[in-house]
Amino acid sequence: MKMLAIKILIIFMFISGILISDFFKIEWGNFRDISVIHIFTSIFITIVFIVPFVNRHTHKYIIIEKVKDNNGWLLGFLLFSITISGFYLFFIGNRGGDLFDIIAFNTHLYGSLLFTVSLLVHINKKLFTTSAMALFFLLGIYPAQLHSIEFTKLKTGQKENIYHIRDWTNSTKCKTCHSEIFNQWANSNHKNLAQANPYYMVLEGLAGEIEGDDFREWCMGCHNPSGLTTGLKKSGHSMNDNFLKDLIFEKDAKTLIDNFKKHGPTRLEEGVGCIACHRITKAESFGNASYTVELNNRKKYHFEDSYSEFGQYLGEKLINANPTVHKQSYSKKIYKKSSYCASCHDESSPITGKKIVSTFKEWEASSYNNPKNLKKHKDCIDCHMTYLKNGKFSPKSGRSTNGGEIKKDIKVHYFSGSNHFLSGLKSKENEDQTIQLLKTAAKLDVDIKDNKVYVGVKNVGAGHHLPTGVADFRELWLDITLKESSGKVIFSSGKLKDDGDLKEDARLFRKVFGDKNGIPVGLLFWKYEKLLSDTRIPAGKRRVEVYKINKKLSYPLTITVKLNFRIYPQWVTNAVKKMYPQLPSPPVVELEKIEKNFHK
Amino acid sequence: MIKTVFLLIVAYIAVLITLLLLPSMLPERKFTQYSDNELREAALSKGMKPIPKNYDEYLKVINNSSNKLTQEKVALGKKLYFDKSLSKNRDVSCSTCHMISKYKNTNEHILLKSLTADSNQTNCASCHIRDNSGTDRLSSAIGTAGTQNPYHLNSITVLNSSLAKYLTWSGEIHSVEEEAGKSIGSQYKMNMSPQEINKRLNSNPAYIKEFDNAFNQQNSSLQSKANFENTKTALGAYVRTLLTRGAYDRFLDGDNDAINAKAKKGLSNFINFGCKGCHAGMSVGGQFLKRFPLKNFISQNDLSFNFPFMLSDNGFPFDNVGGFLGKDDDHYFRVPILRNITKTSPYFHNGSVPKIREAVRIMGQNQLGINLSDSQIDEIVEFLKTLEGDVVDYSDGIKSNRKSL
Repeated sequence: MKMLAIKILIIFMFISGILISDFFKIEWGNFRDISVIHIFTSIFITIVFIVPFVNRHTHKYIIIEKVKDNNGWLLGFLLFSITISGFYLFFIGNRGGDLFDIIAFNTHLYGSLLFTVSLLVHINKKLFTTSAMALFFLLGIYPAQLHSIEFTKLKTGQKENIYHIRDWTNSTKCKTCHSEIFNQWANSNHKNLAQANPYYMVLEGLAGEIEGDDFREWCMGCHNPSGLTTGLKKSGHSMNDNFLKDLIFEKDAKTLIDNFKKHGPTRLEEGVGCIACHRITKAESFGNASYTVELNNRKKYHFEDSYSEFGQYLGEKLINANPTVHKQSYSKKIYKKSSYCASCHDESSPITGKKIVSTFKEWEASSYNNPKNLKKHKDCIDCHMTYLKNGKFSPKSGRSTNGGEIKKDIKVHYFSGSNHFLSGLKSKENEDQTIQLLKTAAKLDVDIKDNKVYVGVKNVGAGHHLPTGVADFRELWLDITLKESSGKVIFSSGKLKDDGDLKEDARLFRKVFGDKNGIPVGLLFWKYEKLLSDTRIPAGKRRVEVYKINKKLSYPLTITVKLNFRIYPQWVTNAVKKMYPQLPSPPVVELEKIEKNFHK
Repeated sequence: MIKTVFLLIVAYIAVLITLLLLPSMLPERKFTQYSDNELREAALSKGMKPIPKNYDEYLKVINNSSNKLTQEKVALGKKLYFDKSLSKNRDVSCSTCHMISKYKNTNEHILLKSLTADSNQTNCASCHIRDNSGTDRLSSAIGTAGTQNPYHLNSITVLNSSLAKYLTWSGEIHSVEEEAGKSIGSQYKMNMSPQEINKRLNSNPAYIKEFDNAFNQQNSSLQSKANFENTKTALGAYVRTLLTRGAYDRFLDGDNDAINAKAKKGLSNFINFGCKGCHAGMSVGGQFLKRFPLKNFISQNDLSFNFPFMLSDNGFPFDNVGGFLGKDDDHYFRVPILRNITKTSPYFHNGSVPKIREAVRIMGQNQLGINLSDSQIDEIVEFLKTLEGDVVDYSDGIKSNRKSL
């Protein structure tokens, strides 16, 4: 009688397991329930029933009755493999890239099929033919490649743009399996967009003071979407007793991780976390946060949202065992397109309607936007999320998931751009990537004719204007030193004053914003209505600056030309330092340098 | 034998399925739904009242017999409130720790000015003055010459404080005039003795005149009226006008659209769960001294091994920074006033809880013994937001009302 019970239990485990394999495309809700049932009942049944049974059974027939049965040994071996691989699949998972994962999965699936057939043979040899045919039949309908499970309902966002704090969860949850990407992101500018960015905090405060607190929503749509959608009227900041918590220098998202450990997903993560990008389902290129982020409208695994540590552990194991749906929830094709990045990286003033940041439009008009010739076409991530080494793009092979499949060009999350400074305060590795990127942007050439110096700057590397983004606040300029035969400096331009600001004669490549009366807007950039000057260099173009030397030239001449970059003008940093005295001043970065001798 | 195995497996699966499907299987508990008018009636019957809209109503519901309000007293009190010379180092005024805007409806651009001027670094006030919270938004107050509060006590809002029966965390003060005097005298706050105050005030001819004007009812002796006692009275008079009205008050007055549905649920939670028992009256608090925490959970912050075994750790459900244990070290605290509470973080007597949701959760667990669910906390916080308000302008009423003298 015991035999029959054991057989029934084995059949139960087999059926519950085969239902969640790719043979049957069962609905997600049932799938996740049956996964849990299969895993936990199998563990229970194996330990409580099967192991003692096998013990007794093999003792009786091998040791006492000394029966010779190869099929029995095969059964024993298969049962052992299935058990071991089953435990492996739960505790480690089938993540896609690890060789052992793949071995374990195949062992478990095909092992169990073989086991069932062998078991039928073991019981009654006549069943062999029927079972063999059944097995071939099953194998026949097994598809050759992995197929996708379709998303059932697609919503266009919710009626009210309100989420709960726990909907935004905490990016630390992703760290367990995506540790490398988490660490790259943690010290990048994308993580540190709100309270860890002193320039932003000052300007959001100013915007609120000058235009009213409702105006902050414009800023928060890109810089703090989690805060905005959970009812915050302004970006908050953590305190350390009576003082502002120092997040400017904090490495590796320490406060975020501590908050998660202490409060789980109920402490709001302000700024841009993992799901702020990875749950965007629609994005338009207009800018001002023109995206739809859907947090709840997705297939969730059991225990995924658990507040308890053990629940989260179980959730992770279940994801690792069957990660296909997890991947589809968070990885969408639009993420590779430039129009996706444009939803935040283009910006218009809500007051004047003028375009303040036009990076996407600049790219769209450039030769890098080439949908007809994919060899020449480059999207944002082809430069800004590709690894750089020795000053060149060198696509790195790696995994985005621990134990996942290896990708030839892993999209690194350093988000190198031009702001080397703020990420550099946290990680030199991040800063280094950005500085390498900056140095691929331009090439210099210089000539001296008829008492004039001609300096050409060609935008060879950027897919957009130089500078782009917040081009009214960036300083990109030419630093020239002209020496005559005696070694004396007879002309210079682009030097710094004692107070750190550039001298008036500097030739800068930038935009200068004026308000409706044509007066420079200063810090209040949203008042931009009239463009007072625009000396930016479009992609692929060369701009020539001419300097007149009103002196008698004594050849031979030596000229040193540098293309310098500073992320913020000193007067802006000075204002921000009043609120954040521990903020250092950003350095001048030399992007290009040429030295040339001229003989008559 | 097989039957038992079968039944065991079936039972096991049934339990597993039940656990998985439990949240969706249980019917949602139906809480009593109040209509808007029923809710208002319930609130008013429990002693919750709106702040008076104008001075006539004020006189009806508030008893200021100890310090009758006149235009001159209030104006003088306001001037003193913002005057840094009332502190030893001339660096701290009442408004330093109890920040409110000096002017109504201005576009002062304080932050812009402080960022672009040639001055040194700014401080928290540049941004936070616009909160109009009546506090300094710090964890614990800092007095003249940077003196730290010895018990790491958090500044309590000045707004609506005159409605309280007891003042300060230990509840030992009974009037705002008394508290004004204590703050000026305390070595940790403004550190001025009455004699020093008299000296400073009398060195300022404008003050002598204004005090004379405001207190001309007193026996007209030749002694200057600019003294410590009258300072307390004037400050008290000004503070008594600092009452705020918000969406909650408009709701109690009859406007059903003043607060949203979530806040209405929060208000009914507030009444039904028992919050209103201590946070009672027009001031929504400040009327009692109660024990905190009422229910003590052993080491709820720290589950490390506990030897020798302590039945209770004599602490709080948060870090016991500062070591303040309430009145007579007996865990008796004055119940805080909840008006504007969402503006006055961080919370509790030592300012160690920065977020309002956490504070509500702690109160539910340790005072009511209720583990509030996330949505209940949300509703209560939504209700607490409606307690935010703007200072009511009683000046017209006070000006025309000479009868109060």
